[in-house]
Amino acid sequence: MLRASSEATNTPLDPRGITSTSIDPLVRGGSQLVGFVDAVLAGGDLEGVTVLLQDTLGEDAVVDAAGVIANFEMMNRIAEGTGMPVGKGSLARTEEWRSLVGLDRYHHD
Amino acid sequence: MSPPFDDLSGSVRPEIPALFVREWARLAGPGSHWSGSQRVEIAASARAARQGSPPEQWSLPSSALQAASLLGATPARASRSWAESTIADLGPGPYVELVGVVSRTAAVDSFYRAVGSALARFPDPVAGDPSGVVDQAARLGAAWVPMVGGSSIVGALSAVPPEAEAQEDMHGPLYLTYEQMGDLQFERGLSRPQMELVAARTSALNECFY
Repeated sequence: MLRASSEATNTPLDPRGITSTSIDPLVRGGSQLVGFVDAVLAGGDLEGVTVLLQDTLGEDAVVDAAGVIANFEMMNRIAEGTGMPVGKGSLARTEEWRSLVGLDRYHHD
Repeated sequence: MSPPFDDLSGSVRPEIPALFVREWARLAGPGSHWSGSQRVEIAASARAARQGSPPEQWSLPSSALQAASLLGATPARASRSWAESTIADLGPGPYVELVGVVSRTAAVDSFYRAVGSALARFPDPVAGDPSGVVDQAARLGAAWVPMVGGSSIVGALSAVPPEAEAQEDMHGPLYLTYEQMGDLQFERGLSRPQMELVAARTSALNECFY
Protein backbone atom coordinates (compact mmCIF):
# COMPACT_ATOMS: atom_id res chain seq x y z
CA MET A 1 0.00 0.00 0.00
CA LEU A 2 2.94 2.34 0.61
CA ARG A 3 4.21 1.94 -2.91
CA ALA A 4 0.73 2.16 -4.44
CA SER A 5 -0.23 5.26 -2.46
CA SER A 6 3.07 7.02 -3.14
CA GLU A 7 2.61 6.36 -6.87
CA ALA A 8 -1.05 7.43 -6.78
CA THR A 9 -0.20 10.70 -5.05
CA ASN A 10 3.15 11.36 -6.79
CA THR A 11 4.83 11.31 -3.40
CA PRO A 12 8.60 10.82 -3.42
CA LEU A 13 9.60 7.67 -1.55
CA ASP A 14 12.75 5.76 -0.72
CA PRO A 15 11.43 2.48 0.71
CA ARG A 16 14.79 1.69 2.27
CA GLY A 17 13.79 4.25 4.91
CA ILE A 18 11.32 1.65 6.24
CA THR A 19 14.05 -0.52 7.64
CA SER A 20 17.04 1.82 7.81
CA THR A 21 16.83 4.91 10.01
CA SER A 22 19.92 6.33 8.31
CA ILE A 23 17.98 6.68 5.05
CA ASP A 24 15.42 9.46 4.59
CA PRO A 25 12.18 7.87 3.34
CA LEU A 26 11.57 11.15 1.43
CA VAL A 27 7.85 11.22 2.33
CA ARG A 28 7.21 14.61 3.96
CA GLY A 29 7.83 14.26 7.68
CA GLY A 30 8.96 10.67 7.04
CA SER A 31 11.96 10.71 9.36
CA GLN A 32 9.85 12.20 12.15
CA LEU A 33 7.15 9.56 11.60
CA VAL A 34 9.70 6.74 11.68
CA GLY A 35 11.24 8.22 14.84
CA PHE A 36 7.80 8.37 16.43
CA VAL A 37 7.04 4.71 15.63
CA ASP A 38 10.42 3.69 17.03
CA ALA A 39 9.90 5.61 20.26
CA VAL A 40 6.42 4.12 20.76
CA LEU A 41 7.38 0.52 20.02
CA ALA A 42 11.04 0.26 20.88
CA GLY A 43 11.36 2.94 23.55
CA GLY A 44 13.19 6.22 23.52
CA ASP A 45 12.45 9.89 23.91
CA LEU A 46 8.73 9.75 23.10
CA GLU A 47 8.08 13.27 24.34
CA GLY A 48 10.88 14.68 22.22
CA VAL A 49 9.89 12.90 19.01
CA THR A 50 6.23 13.78 19.59
CA VAL A 51 7.09 17.48 19.78
CA LEU A 52 9.22 17.12 16.66
CA LEU A 53 6.41 15.38 14.77
CA GLN A 54 3.88 17.92 16.00
CA ASP A 55 6.10 20.81 14.84
CA THR A 56 6.58 19.18 11.43
CA LEU A 57 3.12 17.85 10.59
CA GLY A 58 0.76 19.15 13.29
CA GLU A 59 -1.11 17.74 16.26
CA ASP A 60 -3.63 15.77 14.18
CA ALA A 61 -0.73 13.94 12.56
CA VAL A 62 0.39 12.65 15.97
CA VAL A 63 -3.09 11.25 16.65
CA ASP A 64 -3.30 9.70 13.19
CA ALA A 65 0.14 8.14 13.57
CA ALA A 66 -0.85 6.76 16.97
CA GLY A 67 -3.96 5.23 15.41
CA VAL A 68 -2.05 3.63 12.55
CA ILE A 69 0.54 2.17 14.93
CA ALA A 70 -2.28 0.79 17.09
CA ASN A 71 -4.06 -0.74 14.12
CA PHE A 72 -0.95 -2.46 12.83
CA GLU A 73 -0.03 -3.69 16.27
CA MET A 74 -3.38 -5.48 16.00
CA MET A 75 -3.08 -6.58 12.38
CA ASN A 76 0.50 -7.86 12.76
CA ARG A 77 -0.60 -10.09 15.64
CA ILE A 78 -3.60 -11.35 13.70
CA ALA A 79 -1.42 -12.14 10.68
CA GLU A 80 1.25 -13.87 12.77
CA GLY A 81 -1.20 -15.68 15.03
CA THR A 82 -3.29 -17.08 12.19
CA GLY A 83 -0.38 -17.87 9.86
CA MET A 84 -1.79 -15.63 7.18
CA PRO A 85 -0.08 -16.54 3.90
CA VAL A 86 1.00 -13.93 1.38
CA GLY A 87 -0.44 -14.80 -2.02
CA LYS A 88 1.86 -15.88 -4.86
CA GLY A 89 0.76 -12.88 -6.92
CA SER A 90 1.70 -10.46 -4.14
CA LEU A 91 5.02 -12.21 -3.64
CA ALA A 92 5.83 -11.90 -7.33
CA ARG A 93 4.75 -8.25 -7.53
CA THR A 94 6.79 -7.22 -4.49
CA GLU A 95 9.95 -9.24 -5.10
CA GLU A 96 12.12 -6.29 -6.11
CA TRP A 97 10.86 -4.11 -3.28
CA ARG A 98 11.30 -6.82 -0.66
CA SER A 99 14.85 -7.31 -1.74
CA LEU A 100 15.55 -3.55 -1.69
CA VAL A 101 14.04 -3.08 1.76
CA GLY A 102 15.28 -6.39 3.19
CA LEU A 103 11.84 -7.71 4.12
CA ASP A 104 12.47 -11.35 3.23
CA ARG A 105 14.29 -11.85 6.50
CA TYR A 106 10.88 -11.74 8.21
CA HIS A 107 9.44 -14.57 6.10
CA HIS A 108 8.94 -17.73 8.10
CA ASP A 109 6.94 -20.91 7.61
CA MET B 1 -17.13 9.41 27.70
CA SER B 2 -17.10 6.67 30.32
CA PRO B 3 -14.01 6.04 32.45
CA PRO B 4 -11.27 4.95 31.98
CA PHE B 5 -11.09 6.81 28.66
CA ASP B 6 -11.85 10.34 29.87
CA ASP B 7 -8.16 11.17 29.78
CA LEU B 8 -7.95 10.89 25.98
CA SER B 9 -8.70 14.44 25.02
CA GLY B 10 -7.14 17.25 23.01
CA SER B 11 -6.97 16.41 19.34
CA VAL B 12 -7.90 12.73 19.76
CA ARG B 13 -10.89 12.17 17.48
CA PRO B 14 -13.92 11.32 19.67
CA GLU B 15 -14.50 8.11 17.71
CA ILE B 16 -11.31 6.66 19.21
CA PRO B 17 -12.19 6.81 22.93
CA ALA B 18 -15.72 5.72 21.94
CA LEU B 19 -14.14 2.71 20.20
CA PHE B 20 -12.10 1.87 23.28
CA VAL B 21 -15.22 1.98 25.45
CA ARG B 22 -16.77 -0.60 23.10
CA GLU B 23 -13.62 -2.69 23.10
CA TRP B 24 -13.36 -2.74 26.90
CA ALA B 25 -17.03 -3.80 27.09
CA ARG B 26 -16.30 -6.61 24.63
CA LEU B 27 -13.24 -7.62 26.61
CA ALA B 28 -15.09 -7.74 29.92
CA GLY B 29 -18.02 -9.82 28.73
CA PRO B 30 -18.18 -13.50 27.82
CA GLY B 31 -16.99 -14.28 24.32
CA SER B 32 -17.75 -17.24 22.12
CA HIS B 33 -15.46 -19.62 24.01
CA TRP B 34 -13.93 -17.78 26.96
CA SER B 35 -15.67 -16.18 29.94
CA GLY B 36 -15.26 -12.49 30.72
CA SER B 37 -12.75 -13.18 33.47
CA GLN B 38 -10.75 -15.44 31.15
CA ARG B 39 -10.76 -12.80 28.40
CA VAL B 40 -9.51 -10.15 30.82
CA GLU B 41 -6.86 -12.58 32.03
CA ILE B 42 -5.75 -13.26 28.44
CA ALA B 43 -5.42 -9.51 27.88
CA ALA B 44 -3.62 -8.96 31.19
CA SER B 45 -1.13 -11.77 30.63
CA ALA B 46 -0.37 -10.48 27.13
CA ARG B 47 0.21 -6.98 28.50
CA ALA B 48 2.41 -8.38 31.29
CA ALA B 49 4.52 -10.21 28.72
CA ARG B 50 4.88 -7.05 26.62
CA GLN B 51 5.99 -5.14 29.69
CA GLY B 52 8.38 -7.87 30.78
CA SER B 53 6.54 -8.11 34.11
CA PRO B 54 7.17 -11.12 36.32
CA PRO B 55 4.68 -13.98 35.93
CA GLU B 56 1.54 -13.81 38.05
CA GLN B 57 -0.81 -16.49 39.30
CA TRP B 58 -3.19 -16.93 36.38
CA SER B 59 -6.04 -19.40 36.19
CA LEU B 60 -5.95 -19.94 32.42
CA PRO B 61 -4.66 -23.20 30.89
CA SER B 62 -0.91 -23.01 30.42
CA SER B 63 -1.12 -23.23 26.63
CA ALA B 64 -3.50 -20.23 26.59
CA LEU B 65 -1.14 -18.26 28.81
CA GLN B 66 1.81 -19.16 26.64
CA ALA B 67 -0.09 -18.15 23.50
CA ALA B 68 -1.21 -14.84 25.01
CA SER B 69 2.36 -14.09 26.11
CA LEU B 70 3.97 -15.01 22.81
CA LEU B 71 1.45 -13.21 20.62
CA GLY B 72 1.35 -10.26 22.99
CA ALA B 73 5.11 -9.68 23.19
CA THR B 74 6.85 -11.45 20.31
CA PRO B 75 4.26 -12.33 17.65
CA ALA B 76 6.87 -12.98 14.96
CA ARG B 77 8.02 -16.00 16.96
CA ALA B 78 4.76 -17.81 16.22
CA SER B 79 5.41 -20.79 13.94
CA ARG B 80 3.16 -23.31 12.25
CA SER B 81 4.28 -26.14 14.53
CA TRP B 82 3.75 -24.02 17.63
CA ALA B 83 0.30 -22.94 16.44
CA GLU B 84 -0.72 -26.48 15.51
CA SER B 85 0.26 -27.72 18.94
CA THR B 86 -1.55 -24.85 20.69
CA ILE B 87 -4.67 -25.27 18.56
CA ALA B 88 -4.66 -29.02 19.22
CA ASP B 89 -4.68 -28.19 22.92
CA LEU B 90 -7.18 -25.30 23.00
CA GLY B 91 -9.32 -25.97 19.94
CA PRO B 92 -9.47 -23.69 16.88
CA GLY B 93 -12.32 -21.47 18.13
CA PRO B 94 -10.78 -20.63 21.51
CA TYR B 95 -7.43 -20.04 19.81
CA VAL B 96 -8.96 -17.65 17.25
CA GLU B 97 -10.74 -15.77 20.03
CA LEU B 98 -7.49 -15.52 21.98
CA VAL B 99 -5.72 -14.07 18.94
CA GLY B 100 -8.48 -11.47 18.66
CA VAL B 101 -8.36 -10.46 22.32
CA VAL B 102 -4.56 -10.23 22.42
CA SER B 103 -4.31 -8.27 19.18
CA ARG B 104 -6.93 -5.68 20.09
CA THR B 105 -5.51 -5.18 23.57
CA ALA B 106 -2.11 -4.54 21.99
CA ALA B 107 -3.78 -1.92 19.79
CA VAL B 108 -5.41 -0.10 22.71
CA ASP B 109 -2.21 -0.19 24.76
CA SER B 110 -0.12 1.06 21.85
CA PHE B 111 -2.43 3.99 21.24
CA TYR B 112 -2.23 4.99 24.90
CA ARG B 113 1.54 4.73 24.86
CA ALA B 114 1.75 6.74 21.63
CA VAL B 115 -0.27 9.65 22.99
CA GLY B 116 1.76 9.65 26.20
CA SER B 117 -0.97 8.34 28.51
CA ALA B 118 -0.72 5.67 31.19
CA LEU B 119 -2.26 2.39 30.05
CA ALA B 120 -5.97 1.96 30.70
CA ARG B 121 -6.97 -0.16 33.68
CA PHE B 122 -8.59 -3.41 32.59
CA PRO B 123 -12.35 -3.64 33.06
CA ASP B 124 -13.98 -5.76 35.71
CA PRO B 125 -15.20 -8.99 34.10
CA VAL B 126 -18.89 -9.43 33.48
CA ALA B 127 -20.36 -12.76 34.53
CA GLY B 128 -22.00 -15.03 31.98
CA ASP B 129 -21.44 -18.08 29.86
CA PRO B 130 -19.61 -18.04 26.53
CA SER B 131 -22.05 -17.93 23.63
CA GLY B 132 -20.48 -20.74 21.60
CA VAL B 133 -21.02 -18.67 18.43
CA VAL B 134 -18.90 -19.94 15.53
CA ASP B 135 -19.29 -19.91 11.78
CA GLN B 136 -19.76 -23.52 10.72
CA ALA B 137 -18.75 -22.60 7.15
CA ALA B 138 -15.14 -21.93 8.24
CA ARG B 139 -12.66 -24.31 6.63
CA LEU B 140 -8.96 -24.88 7.03
CA GLY B 141 -6.95 -23.57 4.07
CA ALA B 142 -3.45 -22.22 3.66
CA ALA B 143 -3.50 -20.40 7.01
CA TRP B 144 -3.23 -22.10 10.41
CA VAL B 145 -6.84 -21.51 11.45
CA PRO B 146 -10.14 -22.15 9.68
CA MET B 147 -11.64 -19.19 7.86
CA VAL B 148 -14.75 -18.42 5.87
CA GLY B 149 -14.22 -17.82 2.15
CA GLY B 150 -10.50 -18.54 1.91
CA SER B 151 -7.47 -16.95 3.53
CA SER B 152 -7.59 -13.18 3.81
CA ILE B 153 -6.47 -10.83 6.53
CA VAL B 154 -9.93 -9.29 6.92
CA GLY B 155 -11.39 -12.79 7.29
CA ALA B 156 -8.62 -14.08 9.53
CA LEU B 157 -10.90 -14.36 12.58
CA SER B 158 -14.06 -15.22 10.64
CA ALA B 159 -14.41 -18.65 12.27
CA VAL B 160 -15.53 -16.70 15.36
CA PRO B 161 -17.78 -13.95 13.94
CA PRO B 162 -17.78 -11.62 16.99
CA GLU B 163 -13.97 -11.51 16.80
CA ALA B 164 -14.01 -10.66 13.08
CA GLU B 165 -16.60 -7.93 13.77
CA ALA B 166 -14.45 -6.52 16.56
CA GLN B 167 -11.42 -6.46 14.25
CA GLU B 168 -13.36 -4.47 11.66
CA ASP B 169 -14.73 -2.16 14.36
CA MET B 170 -11.16 -1.29 15.41
CA HIS B 171 -9.81 -0.94 11.87
CA GLY B 172 -11.94 2.06 10.85
CA PRO B 173 -11.40 4.55 13.67
CA LEU B 174 -7.71 3.71 14.12
CA TYR B 175 -6.71 3.54 10.45
CA LEU B 176 -9.24 3.23 7.63
CA THR B 177 -12.49 1.36 7.14
CA TYR B 178 -12.21 -1.64 4.85
CA GLU B 179 -14.00 0.45 2.20
CA GLN B 180 -11.62 3.41 2.62
CA MET B 181 -8.57 1.20 2.06
CA GLY B 182 -9.09 1.41 -1.69
CA ASP B 183 -8.79 5.20 -1.58
CA LEU B 184 -5.08 5.82 -2.11
CA GLN B 185 -5.61 9.60 -1.99
CA PHE B 186 -7.20 9.46 1.49
CA GLU B 187 -6.02 12.27 3.74
CA ARG B 188 -6.77 13.18 7.36
CA GLY B 189 -4.06 14.27 9.81
CA LEU B 190 -1.67 12.29 7.60
CA SER B 191 -1.64 11.70 3.87
CA ARG B 192 -2.09 8.11 2.73
CA PRO B 193 1.65 7.58 1.98
CA GLN B 194 2.48 8.96 5.43
CA MET B 195 -0.02 6.54 6.99
CA GLU B 196 1.46 3.66 5.02
CA LEU B 197 4.99 4.60 6.06
CA VAL B 198 3.89 4.38 9.71
CA ALA B 199 2.21 1.04 8.99
CA ALA B 200 5.29 -0.30 7.21
CA ARG B 201 7.68 0.80 9.97
CA THR B 202 5.40 -0.71 12.63
CA SER B 203 5.31 -4.00 10.74
CA ALA B 204 9.09 -3.93 10.26
CA LEU B 205 9.70 -3.45 13.99
CA ASN B 206 7.28 -6.30 14.65
CA GLU B 207 9.18 -8.34 12.05
CA CYS B 208 5.86 -9.06 10.35
CA PHE B 209 6.34 -10.23 6.78
CA TYR B 210 2.66 -10.05 5.92
